[in-house]
Amino acid sequence: MVMFIDLYTEANTFLHRLDPRVKIVAVLLLSVLAFLMTNLYSLLLLLSFIFLLLFLSRAKWSKTYFALKFVLRLMLLIVVLWPFFDRTGTPILLDFGPVQITEPAIWRGVTSALRVGCLASVWYILMFTTSQRDLVLALVRFGLRFDYGLTIAVSLRFFPTFVSTIDSITDAQKARGLVFAQGGLLERSKKYVAVLVPAVVSALRMADSLSLALQSRAYGARFDRTYLRQLKMQAKDYVALVVVVTLLVLPMIAKYVYSVPI
Amino acid sequence: MIPSREAASTVERLVSVQNLKFTYEGGIEALRGVSLNIDRGEYIAIVGGNGSGKTTLAKNFNGLLRPTSGTVTVKGRPTAQMGVAELARIIGYAFQNPDHQLFCSTVEEEIRFGPLNLGYSENEIGTKVERAIDAMNLGHVRMSAPLSLRLGERRRVSIASVVAMDPEVFILDEPTTGLDAEESRELMERLSSLNNEGKTIILITHDMKLVAEHAKRVVVMARGRMLLDSDPRGAFSDLDLIRQSNLEPPAVTLLSHRLSDYGIPQDIISPEELVLHVMRFGGRS
Amino acid sequence: MHALEMRDVSFKYKGSKQLALEKVSLEVEKGEFVTLLGCNGSGKSTVCLLANGLIPHALPGELSGEVRIFGEEVRQKSVAEFSTKVGIVFQEPESQLFCMSVEEEVAFGPENLAVPREEIKNRVEWALDLVGMKGYNDRSPFSLSGGQKQRVAIAAALSMRPEMLVLDEPAYALDPVGRMELYSVLKELKEKYGMTVVLAERDAEEAAGFSDRIVLMDDGKVIEAGPPRLVLRDPGRLRGIGVVPPQVSEVAALMNSRLKVSRFSFLTVDDAERAIVQELSSKGRPGAR
Repeated sequence: MVMFIDLYTEANTFLHRLDPRVKIVAVLLLSVLAFLMTNLYSLLLLLSFIFLLLFLSRAKWSKTYFALKFVLRLMLLIVVLWPFFDRTGTPILLDFGPVQITEPAIWRGVTSALRVGCLASVWYILMFTTSQRDLVLALVRFGLRFDYGLTIAVSLRFFPTFVSTIDSITDAQKARGLVFAQGGLLERSKKYVAVLVPAVVSALRMADSLSLALQSRAYGARFDRTYLRQLKMQAKDYVALVVVVTLLVLPMIAKYVYSVPI
Repeated sequence: MIPSREAASTVERLVSVQNLKFTYEGGIEALRGVSLNIDRGEYIAIVGGNGSGKTTLAKNFNGLLRPTSGTVTVKGRPTAQMGVAELARIIGYAFQNPDHQLFCSTVEEEIRFGPLNLGYSENEIGTKVERAIDAMNLGHVRMSAPLSLRLGERRRVSIASVVAMDPEVFILDEPTTGLDAEESRELMERLSSLNNEGKTIILITHDMKLVAEHAKRVVVMARGRMLLDSDPRGAFSDLDLIRQSNLEPPAVTLLSHRLSDYGIPQDIISPEELVLHVMRFGGRS
Repeated sequence: MHALEMRDVSFKYKGSKQLALEKVSLEVEKGEFVTLLGCNGSGKSTVCLLANGLIPHALPGELSGEVRIFGEEVRQKSVAEFSTKVGIVFQEPESQLFCMSVEEEVAFGPENLAVPREEIKNRVEWALDLVGMKGYNDRSPFSLSGGQKQRVAIAAALSMRPEMLVLDEPAYALDPVGRMELYSVLKELKEKYGMTVVLAERDAEEAAGFSDRIVLMDDGKVIEAGPPRLVLRDPGRLRGIGVVPPQVSEVAALMNSRLKVSRFSFLTVDDAERAIVQELSSKGRPGAR
């Protein structure tokens, strides 16, 4: 299975050039909007807008496919299952024993699916266009303690290493005749011990070495540490921020102050 | 090398590789058309720098990897039709990092793991484990926890657990890394014993000194291709080839090249040989 | 003042029954390149970990004797305080690089010390240039080769502007190309920058050529210390304590025993070539005289 932890694709789109903090705010507001909107057509519009941004991010096709495959499957699942659990409203389309499918329920299902689709895919806008470095930097700038920022950064950094170690361990045990796909649930779980133990030991060893390396480079020596990379909001970022906030707060004002049905 | 008691005509072809190409999922072409044959009883070193494809090649032998194109047959059957566990009966693979394998509470349990997976009877497992413990000189630590042992001992446990599976071919990936001179020498001696008993040994390494001292056949890999397949002397006499493969010739080989003007042969692989030739030249043998 | 001075030092790791170091005394002068030669368990790694204070501050145990790093007793200052004087590089490339890019990695140390941004930028460029990794700023450590990773680790230590660099078997996990790259960086550090270097190794092959002094260790004790030519003269003894002697020193020993002399002593291939050529030229071809 191809799995991506780093969804970032390097490119030079306007999205890439935006300060990551602006993007985080935009994505948060888009999520809030998705929660608050109830009209099916508004949500469809929002989803299309999000997909447009995803397209504009010029992410690698393999990553886009991976992201969207997940989202679309989730949406389909909701559309299909919703009417089975929501049986209110008229007209009733199908009445067969415990199954009762009504038309309004189907539309409500579609609306929910669109909402979930928005919530699930909006974060990809951030992930496709922001490097892990910048993401962590933005979080620290927002007030996350450096220690936690470093923890996140180190975890992200070692993820591929760890995956590679587990691959190597799995290979080694397979070469000793271990067949993972055989046997009942209990038997299979026992087999994973052969991978888990070396993996945990390897992780602990690495953590030990890491700790020595961190200390040798004076980690924690001073509270007023310098940061080489800085995020500077430029004119374009402020403009973008204003545009984003306006575009996203306006519909909310329309809905709650002026009762526009969106 | 042919086991002395058998006639030449019964040498068995164990592994046959035909135009093997392998590309990893990310698009990296690790093998670009490699062909070679390995017979029973051989002692081969597959050498090359990082990224040369030597490990990828070895993993195609025991089924951990399957050819992208081309064929690999083991004892006449294509690996594509065989499971890794099935191939493990014939081809044992000792990985470079023993810590990626060890997980049992005692050395004995660890060594039992392989034959247990292969479905041998309790009696058979007992015999095989004893032989392996003997072969790798682990009697004194058999009840110790593998993870508490020194690297040299952990390596021996990992190799013993492969020996216990009683394969016909042993692939060892950088078996002497991290071992001190004595441990290294002892390990190589045990491998030679195994070879003398008729087992086929395949060393994957970038240590040319090791190759010079032990291998009877050298396959040089670079950038996914096989540059050379010959006896060690043939390999060492071509310095350019060695350098091209990101390898370093042993110091004495380098020295012998520099002294070629004085009639010293250029395929010298041991200090003893070099001194012999130098003495001869001086008319003082 | 020595760069590193150890007097009668004994150390036992917490929870261990054996002494890792037994009454070890040694000195490293400023600007010297010293190689600690020994096999697993000889104590060479323990000396490295003492040299920047990781022992006893991060790795507890029973420490006796005196350890002075640029005059300061190791127990009196913290690892962070020593980090501006001593940089350390460990043997495992993967687990000492923890940042998401090379630039961050090399900047990490000075950042922690609150060095001004402009200065950090300069140091990063200088360090990367020195180790031959210029331009690799935005690369992720995962994508580098072993040799490249170790060179970044050296740069990350150098950016703290230490006066001494300690390396514990840095070439352990490297292939021949990686080894060569690493040793050429060390050579340059010594020749161009006069940096004090303490290198722990088990194979004397490369270090023999450019070490000022070799300290032979076995079983936690110092067996011998002195110039390479002296300490490495007997390959048999080296092998006996688990150290791989330079192959050419075996040639020298063999020639000495054949000719019943003791004047041959080779550390490098160049040494050997020169001496053998001289020897062969003075003899002439068989029957030529």
